[in-house]
Amino acid sequence: MSRCVDVIVVGGGHAGIEAALAASRMGMKTVMVTARKERIGEMSCNPAIGGIAKGTIVREVDALDGSMAVAADETSLQFRMLNRRKGPAVWGPRVQSDAMMYARAQQRTLEAGAVEVIEDEVTGLIGRTERIEGVQCRRNGPLKGRAVVLATGTFLGGMLFRGEETWRGGRTGDISADRLDEDLRRRMFHVERFKTGTPPRILRDSIDTGSMEEETSEEIGFSFSYSGSRLSELREFFYTVHTNRDTAEAAKDFLHRSPLLAGRIEGKGPRYCPSFEDKVVKFPERAEHRIYVEPMGYRSRLLYLNGLSSSLPREAQYRMVRTLPGFHDAVIHRFGYAVEYSYISHEEIAPTLRLRRTENLFAAGQVCGTSGYEEAAGLGVLAGINAARQCLDREGLVLSRMDSYIGVMVDDIIGRGVDEPYRMFSSRAENRLYLRQDNADRRMLPAALGSGVLSEGKKKVLEGRTEAAGRIRTAIDETSMDGVPAGILCRRGELNPLELLSTSGLQGSVELSLAESVILDEKYQGYIQRNLRKHRERSSESSVTLSSIDSFMDIEEICWEAREVLERRRPETLQQARNLPGVRPTDINGLIIHLGRKCSTWNNRT
Amino acid sequence: MDYHDDAKGIICAVSTPEGRSAIAVIRVSGSGSASVVEHLMGLEKGRLRGMRRKTGVIRRAGVELDSVVALGWPEGSSYTGEEMVEIMCHGIPEVTADILECLMDAGARKAVPGEFTRRAFMSGRMSAWQVMSLASMWRGMDHGNRLSGEGGSECSRLLRETRRVRELLEADIEFQEEHGTGGSEDLLAEFGSLMELTGEFRRKTSVMEGECRVMLMGPVNSGKSTLFNRIAGGEAALVSDEPGTTRDGASVHVEIRGRRILVCDTAGSDGTGIDREAYRRALGTMKGTDGVIWMSVGGTEKTPGEIEKTAGWIIRVSSKSDLVEKCTDKEWLGVSCVTGEGIDELQELVSQFPGSMSVTALADRIENRVGAARDSVIEGDFAVASENLADAENELSDLLDRGSCALISVERALSGMCVGK
Ligand SMILES: Cc1cc2nc3c(=O)[nH]c(=O)nc-3n(C[C@H](O)[C@H](O)[C@H](O)COP(=O)(O)OP(=O)(O)OC[C@H]3O[C@@H](n4cnc5c(N)ncnc54)[C@H](O)[C@@H]3O)c2cc1C
Repeated sequence: MSRCVDVIVVGGGHAGIEAALAASRMGMKTVMVTARKERIGEMSCNPAIGGIAKGTIVREVDALDGSMAVAADETSLQFRMLNRRKGPAVWGPRVQSDAMMYARAQQRTLEAGAVEVIEDEVTGLIGRTERIEGVQCRRNGPLKGRAVVLATGTFLGGMLFRGEETWRGGRTGDISADRLDEDLRRRMFHVERFKTGTPPRILRDSIDTGSMEEETSEEIGFSFSYSGSRLSELREFFYTVHTNRDTAEAAKDFLHRSPLLAGRIEGKGPRYCPSFEDKVVKFPERAEHRIYVEPMGYRSRLLYLNGLSSSLPREAQYRMVRTLPGFHDAVIHRFGYAVEYSYISHEEIAPTLRLRRTENLFAAGQVCGTSGYEEAAGLGVLAGINAARQCLDREGLVLSRMDSYIGVMVDDIIGRGVDEPYRMFSSRAENRLYLRQDNADRRMLPAALGSGVLSEGKKKVLEGRTEAAGRIRTAIDETSMDGVPAGILCRRGELNPLELLSTSGLQGSVELSLAESVILDEKYQGYIQRNLRKHRERSSESSVTLSSIDSFMDIEEICWEAREVLERRRPETLQQARNLPGVRPTDINGLIIHLGRKCSTWNNRT
Repeated sequence: MDYHDDAKGIICAVSTPEGRSAIAVIRVSGSGSASVVEHLMGLEKGRLRGMRRKTGVIRRAGVELDSVVALGWPEGSSYTGEEMVEIMCHGIPEVTADILECLMDAGARKAVPGEFTRRAFMSGRMSAWQVMSLASMWRGMDHGNRLSGEGGSECSRLLRETRRVRELLEADIEFQEEHGTGGSEDLLAEFGSLMELTGEFRRKTSVMEGECRVMLMGPVNSGKSTLFNRIAGGEAALVSDEPGTTRDGASVHVEIRGRRILVCDTAGSDGTGIDREAYRRALGTMKGTDGVIWMSVGGTEKTPGEIEKTAGWIIRVSSKSDLVEKCTDKEWLGVSCVTGEGIDELQELVSQFPGSMSVTALADRIENRVGAARDSVIEGDFAVASENLADAENELSDLLDRGSCALISVERALSGMCVGK
């Protein structure tokens, strides 16, 4: 006897939480099946949310009414605005969090959000692959649903490694989703392996912080959430130390016992978040690497050593840790390890995060090949929206890479594929001057309203802000300062927001930070418009087919090398042609000229 | 010259210097060249397809013209990128002329100057930069510039450096504060050396591109030499109030608004007497110039039809505007060397001669972008800095490629080449 719900979300990580909440906000009867209830929302790795580009994703998730921003605001122990001296387009808000409190906050939100949580392991899907009917649970048996979201993180076929030790799991103390992995493979989904790792956790009382550099919080009352959250008032100290020659030596002595170098891990790891032994191999001349010492929570007895990720054997980690200044008596509470897991190949995934071969199976989070909490949350909310829209028989939501980092991420993963765990960088976005943390609410509003994911309360907040932004824009158009139009001052970066507000009589009725944000939009307008134009030109290329070309070898307008590449790969559209290595922009121009001569496809395009 | 009419046919030309020599090389390029030469040499079809060498005899109507060696290149790996044959024959003008004639009878056409290189450019075998380097070597203007491969050229070096600095900038944005590594110790110093390199590059382009040539023409005593001196900033030409003092062309190199310009003074013409000869000479040299400044007092004397026909670009100057009534016609620019009226406008116009644009202008743009990027870093807007560097990179790749704006310069470089290059 099985029940039938609307949306089933497999996994209670950062992706699963947002997916379940989004579907629920859209009125779906939503069930989350996850291995252990009390580990929902756990930070498997470092206790921090946000960062450069990542912080902007958190605000995009908030603009879609997700829960990550509020949870981060309420449980933060320290706030920093990274890159403050490098321009507002690359500012990165980041908080250090109390990991336990963060997970609790998320669990409470799920409860309040009417998401039913079932503690169980999903061992497989039920129904034909083209149309999934639900999931099979180890204890509770079959559970039927109209759409399923896979948010299994690092758990699919998860294998943990430390030196010669190997055991099954998605992280320490957790199960490995082996049966689900097998089921996906049996259904002929293309899955691949990645690896990632985590550093040792240290007992706080065992170290001496006296000699360490201290980092303190910036107190500016920043909240990730545009609705303004109840900001945490708890504060913690964070420290930085540097590794030295002895640390590197210790790692080197044990390199032969690294599971990676010994060839036992096949999956590729994140280039930008390497293990310490990777760094030693990669930069043999450098022994000094910065390590951030981060308490796992407020007055927590555990410290996290950000930058010292390792899967070397216990002895090695022990020696490495003890070489750090202030760590000579350090006690390791839990040793670092690496995890290898399956992820679903990009060819399987559509821009709505639906798996292409199915009508109603979606994927989100690390299982799509990404890495990081924020990335997971961004994909989660999109998958949740689209699972619900599938149930409602509405067209899926696709986010443009010109409007959001979530859009950039999906487009990158699906369009180019990933060859290492995908982490967001600001430089991945060609429209970076627009994709700022200060305007995510306005950028996301059309998608947020169109998709139906906003609760009434959030909708009001966001519409109110957009309306206020409109008034500021009008003020810019209509105000002059000493005879110079405010718009021109904006472009020169010389418009003082306070002055604008007081001159235009808006003071008191709109937030200063909102004025600053609108002024930035104006300031970067030229660049933004140009980027949009370029993007439009490019995307119109996806509608130009090359099927009329019998042989690329005869096209004299393009260079020889490009002809060979094109002939070999035979792209279907102009856009695909552009993405091929060895095909230069001018070859594309040549191809356009050729097509123009040959037939009228190109002319009819506009 | 319109190359586009027959951009694809088989072309041929003698590629070695004129006159007698031990051997001469005749180049034949275009799809089908192999079979044309095979036919002339009486070879079996396909013998010269691909990388092949064949010896044989070229005959016309049974008469032996010469015994030759022919080298065949397949499409994609020849100088032009097209199917190509080089015929090595005896360096006797009568022989090469005969062979060319045979080739033309078989359907080939005589190449125009620079056409082989042009095809190499069009098929992507050579970049704009390489064509221009080749042309400047050919003109002997820049002996230090060897025809190095793409990798060694200033252009790709600047591109590499720009890219490297942008990568440093990006690493600084992404990693420096978040992970405590990455970026550069001293970003501004990196920009400093990039700026230097950019300046060097700009100077280099102006040497490579050569100068824009402008001729001063007009009736006797219309004030050409006075204007010339004004431009030259000295007593370069002989000036007097007596009509016809300037007997022959003097020329001076000047830099106007960053463009290198060669201004040539000419003898005035009233179409009679001793000036006739000098005027004819001036007309004769006009073909190689980019433009003409036609001067006449008060704009009374119209530009002669011969000049209208030959000159690509004409600026009409109504001179001595301080003395005589000004010409109201908008076509004429009123200039006075006494009051300085109109001099600025004239310089602006001269610097806009089409021949003086292109690569140098592009180098200017690159310098601007890099400068703007550095300013943005100082102002603390790294993302804008990165956009500017990316623009500079695009301009440079355009030059290394066969992009549209590099095309003008290529045409210019090619126009100075000989047939067979
Ligand atoms: C050891 C380790 C090291 C990491 N290192 C880094 C790092 O260095 N940098 C970085 O950015 N990120 C790192 N992360 C990744 C970061 O934790 C993830 O990117 C993020 O948590 C992914 O979120 P998610 O929602 O996709 O999956 P997770 O947070 O992994 O959540 C998966 C959830 O799914 C549940 N689940 C899985 N399969 C089943 C099943 N069959 N049945 C029921 N429940 C199931 C699990 O119980 C869990 O609740 C690391 C993670 C681990 C484990």
